[in-house]
Amino acid sequence: MAKIPLIIDCDPGHDDAIALMLAASASEVFDLRAVTTVGGAQSVDKTYYNARRVLTAIGLDVPVARGAAQPMVRKALGGTEIVHGESGLDGPKLPEPDLTPCDLTAFELLCKTLEEAEEPVTICPTGPMTNIGILLAVRPDLKGKIREFSIMGGGFYMGNWTAAAEFNILADPEAAKILFDSGIPVIMSGLDVTKKAYVTREENEVLRANGNRCSVLAAELIDYFSRYHYEVEHLPGCTLHDPCAIAYLLAPEIFTGKQCHVEVDVNGQYTLGKTVVDWFDHTHLPKNALVLYEVDRPAFVELLIRQLAKLR
Amino acid sequence: MPKIPIIMDCDPGHDDAIALLWALSEPEKLDLKAVTIVAGNQTLANTTRNALRVLTFAGRTDIPVAMGADRPLMRPSIFEQGATEMVHGQSGLDGPAMPEPGFEPVPMRALDLLIKTIEESEEKITLVPTGPLTNVAALFLVRPDLKAKIERISLMGGGSYTGNWTPAAEYNIYVDPEAASIVFQSGVPIVMAGLDVTHQAYITREENEELRQKGGRCAVFTAELIDFFSRYHYEVEKLPGCTIHDACAVAYLCHPEIFTGVDCHVDIELEGSLTAGTTVCDPGNYEGKNHNATVLYGVDRERFAELFIEAMSRLDQ
Repeated sequence: MAKIPLIIDCDPGHDDAIALMLAASASEVFDLRAVTTVGGAQSVDKTYYNARRVLTAIGLDVPVARGAAQPMVRKALGGTEIVHGESGLDGPKLPEPDLTPCDLTAFELLCKTLEEAEEPVTICPTGPMTNIGILLAVRPDLKGKIREFSIMGGGFYMGNWTAAAEFNILADPEAAKILFDSGIPVIMSGLDVTKKAYVTREENEVLRANGNRCSVLAAELIDYFSRYHYEVEHLPGCTLHDPCAIAYLLAPEIFTGKQCHVEVDVNGQYTLGKTVVDWFDHTHLPKNALVLYEVDRPAFVELLIRQLAKLR
Repeated sequence: MPKIPIIMDCDPGHDDAIALLWALSEPEKLDLKAVTIVAGNQTLANTTRNALRVLTFAGRTDIPVAMGADRPLMRPSIFEQGATEMVHGQSGLDGPAMPEPGFEPVPMRALDLLIKTIEESEEKITLVPTGPLTNVAALFLVRPDLKAKIERISLMGGGSYTGNWTPAAEYNIYVDPEAASIVFQSGVPIVMAGLDVTHQAYITREENEELRQKGGRCAVFTAELIDFFSRYHYEVEKLPGCTIHDACAVAYLCHPEIFTGVDCHVDIELEGSLTAGTTVCDPGNYEGKNHNATVLYGVDRERFAELFIEAMSRLDQ
C-alpha cells in the first residue's frame, strides 16, 4: 500500500512530542515529509527547538521549520506554563537538536512540500492553526495538493481553555475558521474523543517497561503532562490529545465519528473559538468534518505501547 | 414532606401540556399556585388557549392563568412566521381532541400574577419555566426584591452538547437570549434541564402504547399528544423516542433522585453569529466563575418513563 505523505504542524508540547513519535514509529504507513512549528504550548522559538530535540531523540532527520510567532489576527493567549512548563516540554532530559538544518520558514516549507508532491498530502495540525490559515489564505492554489487535515482541536461537549473553547482553536480562531471553511476534508479529534484517549498510571508503567529510549522518554513526558490532568482537570488519566490525530490515520477502526458541518465561532462573547458542530444537521450545510467522539481506549493504549516499542 | 409551591410559566406546546399534567398529578409533592403564559411554541393567543384547554381537560379551572409577553424583550419574534408549526402544529397543540377553554385568564398580566402570587405566599416559590424566559426576566427587572422570595428555578432550556434550533442553541433560550441572560445572572438558584438530559428523557413507541393501554382519558389524551409530537422527533430529529423536554423540569422537582447534574457556571451567549442563545456551561470549571446553575446531564430513562406513565394514570383515578 502506498504510504501516506504527511506534514505535521505542531507546537511541542508533550502530546505533540508523543504524536511525532507515533508518526515516526509507523514509517511503513507514513512518509513524513516536513514538520512545521507554531507558537502555542509555548513561544514558537521554544516549540521549534522542542520539535528538533524530539526528532533528534527519535533519530528522524526531517526538515523542520519555524512558523508563526503570533496568531493571524489576535494576540497570543499565553498562560500555558501550568500545562507544559517554561520550556513547553518540561520533564525529561532531551538531546540538543542535531538535524540537517532547514533554512525555510514554515510557510515556505509548506509551499515547497506541497508543490513538490505528486499526490495530495495529509496535514496534521496539532497546535494553533496559524501556519495553515496563512497557507490557505495566501496560497489557495495549493488546496488541491492537500488531501485532508487530521487535526487535534475543538470539541462540541465542552472546552478546555474557556467553557466553550479548546486551546488550539481559541489560540487562533480565524486560522481555524479558514481551515474548516477551506472545503478540504477535516478529521476533527476534539475534546469529545481526546478526553477518552487517556493513559492511566498503570498503563504508563507498561509503556515505560518497553525499555527502549523513546518509550521511556514518552513515559517521562506523560509523568509531567499528567500532573495537570490529575491535579487541575481531575481526569482519570493523562489525556493524549494530539496523538489522536495521528492514531486515527494509523487505525481509523478504533475511532467512531460522525460527518457534520462544523464552523468556528469568531465573534461570540462567551463562545469565541468554539467549534460549532451541527450534530443534528439543522443547517443542511456541507458536512466538512468527520467529528470523532469515541475511541476504543484499550486499543488506543495498546497501539501506542506497541508502536513506540518500535522506536530506538 | 412539605409541598413545593410552584408557578409554571409556559408556552404549550405538547411537552408543556405534559409538564402541566404531571405537576397536577403530584398533589402531595407540588402545589401549583398559578400558570403564566408566554409566546414561544406558538403565538401568545394560541399558547394561552392551549393552557386553558389543558387545564379545562384536567378539571382544574380553579388555577389562575395569566397572559404574559407576546414577544421577546429585545428581538423580533420567530414564532409569528409559523416556524414552529412543524413541531407543534398550527394550534401549537395539534393532535388529540380537546375541550374548548372552560374559563378565562385572570384580568391581569402575567407579571402582576407572578408578583401577587409571590407576595401573598408565606413560603418561597419555585418557578418552573418551560418556554422562553421573557416573563421571568420581566419579573426580575421590575421587582428584583422578589428574587429573595424565590426558592429556585427549575427550567427547561439550553444544552451544552448540541442545540435543537441552531447547531448551538436550544429553542427556548434562542428565542429570547437576553431574558435568559437576566435569569441566569439573577442569583436565584437554577436547575437547568437542557437538551443534554431531555434528549435522554424520551418515551419509546412501546412505552407510549403501554400508557394508552391504561385506558383512562388522561392516559389516552397524553398518548395522543405524544403521537403527534413524536413525529418531529422520529422524522426530523431522528431520535429514538418522543423527547418530552419540558416534563423534565417538573419531574426533577418530584423525583430528583433519578437525575444527575453538575453545579457549574452558565453564561448565555448573546453576540456570536453562530452561537447566539447558547448556554455556555462550564462543568470543568475552566473559567473559575461562580456556580449559578445545576446543569442536569443524566437521567435514569427507564425510571423516568415508568414515573411518567404512573403520573398520567394517576390523573385518571
